[in-house]
Amino acid sequence: MSLLEIKDLSIEFPAGENTVKAVSHVSFEIREGETFGIIGESGSGKSVIGLALLRLLPANAKVSGTVFFQGQDLLSLKPSELRKIRGKKISLMPQNPAGALNPVLKNGLQMEDVFEGNRAEKKEGMKKALKLMKQLFLRNPEKLCTLYPHQLSGGMRQRLTACISLSFEPEILIADEPTKGLDPEAKAGAVDIFNKIKTEYEKTMLLITHDLDLALEVCDQIAVMYAGEIVELDLASKVLSTPLHPYTKGLIRAQPRNGLVPLSGQSPSRIKLPEGCFFHERCRYSGFECSRKHPEIKNYKGGLIRCHFLSLK
Amino acid sequence: MPLPVLEVNGLAMRFRTSEVFKNVSFSVTRGETLGLFGKSGSGKTTIGRCIVGLEKPTGGEILVQGVDILKMEKKEFRKLRPKIQMIFQHPETSLDPRMKAFENLIEPLKLHSGLKRDALMKRGEELAELTGLRPEHLARYPGHLSGGEIQRIVLARIMALSPDFIVADEPTSMLDVSVQAQILRLMQKLQRETGVSYLLISHDLEVLKKVCHRIAYLENGTITSIENINRGIKI
Repeated sequence: MSLLEIKDLSIEFPAGENTVKAVSHVSFEIREGETFGIIGESGSGKSVIGLALLRLLPANAKVSGTVFFQGQDLLSLKPSELRKIRGKKISLMPQNPAGALNPVLKNGLQMEDVFEGNRAEKKEGMKKALKLMKQLFLRNPEKLCTLYPHQLSGGMRQRLTACISLSFEPEILIADEPTKGLDPEAKAGAVDIFNKIKTEYEKTMLLITHDLDLALEVCDQIAVMYAGEIVELDLASKVLSTPLHPYTKGLIRAQPRNGLVPLSGQSPSRIKLPEGCFFHERCRYSGFECSRKHPEIKNYKGGLIRCHFLSLK
Repeated sequence: MPLPVLEVNGLAMRFRTSEVFKNVSFSVTRGETLGLFGKSGSGKTTIGRCIVGLEKPTGGEILVQGVDILKMEKKEFRKLRPKIQMIFQHPETSLDPRMKAFENLIEPLKLHSGLKRDALMKRGEELAELTGLRPEHLARYPGHLSGGEIQRIVLARIMALSPDFIVADEPTSMLDVSVQAQILRLMQKLQRETGVSYLLISHDLEVLKKVCHRIAYLENGTITSIENINRGIKI
């Protein structure tokens, strides 16, 4: 049963006289207990989707489509109704844990801030939070609460934001680039945390990342985004071990262990997208049709793919 | 044996009572990439900052072309400084946000080259081409550029001064996998064309093994071993 259903989501930002098309007609659904990953390079529209689900985008963003969660369209809810969902039923673990925490408040106070109500209720909430901190591999959480964010390492700050995001036991956790800038040890720790959240807490997660190793370890399904649209969607193991779309293949070849082969060229301008396939200028398989006709997303070997080359096969 | 571009002997750093590193020694020859591998907090960045003169070590010597820069007068060091450059980890904080990309790029030329306006613009365009920047990138402010585009501008700006040695501190840790490959390949291309040497600081051993000639391992505040890789492209 799908817990979150996104249909035809498009997001645009005005830029002077022009419009930046950040996300174009994205549709996918996340089933209960599933971890759904969105991968793609910077600027492909991944993070914008995460923010759009909770309506956290700037006021000038034009959002169209529907996002159904428990029978309600999140994009048309009243602000008061949305407040009952934000942080409680759907929680966001933001990119850059250092920037997400207030540098002048002690960690304990920031955790306590999450809980509403009187002193006793806050105290009860903190008890639960401390237990959660212990479970998420944070040693000596009582001492940690007396420190400021700058006194923690990158990995610890990330665990703390994970605790804050999970303290209301949300039904969906959106994690945006949780391993960006972390060293290998902290990255391995992040994989353990997400596996724990997935298996022990049985949470549904939307993981937005460019870390292909994290995606492979944690995700059940993966959508690959390029220039604001999904180009491939399938089981994580299939997408990352036998990729079909030329862009996904390029991403995998660019990993150091696979040869550090860069994708030629750069992503297209989002103000004036190229005719035909958005990837055709960088694609080694590009043919005549690719520069003329924009490919539709189609079913292919059990997954979804947007490529003329594969549909011709 | 060619004279090293940079030689570090017995470098030590202590902050109050805590010793960050001690007895750190290595050398880098022309056209070589030396990787510096260590965990977060091991002192890799501090070593890099000592080399470019942003930190003063508590012991040891840093020889550039055989002269110890730690004993140099400020005036003398300022003359040498354009030849030793640094790429910082966070691309978004490396450029002036109030200047357009092209102005950022030609700023070092304005300060150090003595070129006139036309020649300055021409050299700026050459550098942009060398680093794969398109004209539309140059007209934007840093806030409107991606991490990869900013790192290209940083590289173009650094190459403007024809440095002998670049300390690259985690230049790709904040970039995604495809852009990471582009920037590292660009650095290799610049090395082939100009003979510049790199000290590449990273916590990603896979990346270092792919692009470095040798890797120095920093553990418990000292260099425990230096491994020959022979995979990088040496001039």
